[in-house]
Amino acid sequence: MRNPFKMPPQVLRLCLLALAIVSSYALARYFLTPPSFRQYGWYRGAALSELQAREPVFAGKKACEECHSDQLNKLSKGEHKTLSCEACHGPGQAHSDNPDVKIELKNFSPCIRCHESNPSRPKWHKQVVSKNHYTGSKCTECHVPHSPTEVP
Amino acid sequence: MSQQVSRRNLLGKIGAAAAGVMSASLARTAKAAVQKVLVSTGAAKGYDPTKHKWVMAIDANRCIGCGLCAEACKTENHVPEGPYYRTWIERYIITKPRPGSGDARGETLVDCPSGGMHGFPEPPVPKEEIQHSFFVPKLCNLCEHSACVQVCPVGATFDAPDGAVLIDPKYCIGCGFCIQACPYGCRFLNPVTKTAEKCTLCYHRITRGLNPACVEVCPTQARVFGDLKNPAPDDPIQRFYQNNKVQALKPHLGTDPRVYYAGIDKEVR
Repeated sequence: MRNPFKMPPQVLRLCLLALAIVSSYALARYFLTPPSFRQYGWYRGAALSELQAREPVFAGKKACEECHSDQLNKLSKGEHKTLSCEACHGPGQAHSDNPDVKIELKNFSPCIRCHESNPSRPKWHKQVVSKNHYTGSKCTECHVPHSPTEVP
Repeated sequence: MSQQVSRRNLLGKIGAAAAGVMSASLARTAKAAVQKVLVSTGAAKGYDPTKHKWVMAIDANRCIGCGLCAEACKTENHVPEGPYYRTWIERYIITKPRPGSGDARGETLVDCPSGGMHGFPEPPVPKEEIQHSFFVPKLCNLCEHSACVQVCPVGATFDAPDGAVLIDPKYCIGCGFCIQACPYGCRFLNPVTKTAEKCTLCYHRITRGLNPACVEVCPTQARVFGDLKNPAPDDPIQRFYQNNKVQALKPHLGTDPRVYYAGIDKEVR
């Protein structure tokens, strides 16, 4: 066999093998690397838009305001002004997309979730020992959640 | 001899032709894939990650431990049932020192029943024995130099240009290195997808102009969220810095967290 590089055949075979390995790696790297890789850094840039694509479950206070601005207006004047609607009423994106889908009452957070007395709670926060405070059935008999200082 | 040469030539020609055909078809598929990806990226939505820098600040003085944030996080991010939390609340109880012990403070008790998402029961020690007690909401600390990103062997977790530390679920192989590396214990292996998961700052919400779910439902504004590159008028983050003495968790580790805390004791880790 004529050897153009004047090297022993086993060395030539080794060189060819090395070349094959390197070129197959280069080919795989060229074709299998996702196009958005290194768009921002050493990761797939498309992952960012994929993570963005999911739909929210909580609609946000602004979405509530579109229809319920009267309630939000009342809320903004009282002690509960920092509360988001969905803090008590539960997630509302489904209701915001389609008003026929009602938010279920079981999703409502009870008042004592925040106002039950607990020594770990900060002192500025109004707390009651619910058993001693009132033995009736509902907080709303005496309190208006949207305007806590008001008496119904 | 000449026969041998011609055979080699023939083989070479066949090889070259095959390679040519294959590379042409591969190049075409690759091009199609590129175009498909370019069309499906979120570029049309107009969110540019390089134009934002998200931060979170937590005022423990305001946290009442209601657990709405932890519950909302589970709902919003479809986190599986069980002890898996992207954000959670810890209760710190520091007892009074034993009389005559010479200590300034007693024992530090930390508990976190169900991530705090259903609130907290009565403390395990009588009220009279408590020196100081408070709640600390925890989440991904958005480290500037994240240990989790450094250890990921496949480039599945990364620091996004907008400051969020994210996981590419398609690249994650579920090896769990990042879960061990995170000094704040913010990661877990999702039992359904078998990939690592963590707080994404509700990436699908913040890119739509909404607040993260935990910030949205927090009744006392103990959680404050903002964009350092686009401060809002009367920016809550700037107000937080002005009104509080802020600190980060485990600063000695050099992770440089971008979640700042106010009103926590030295016992908090």
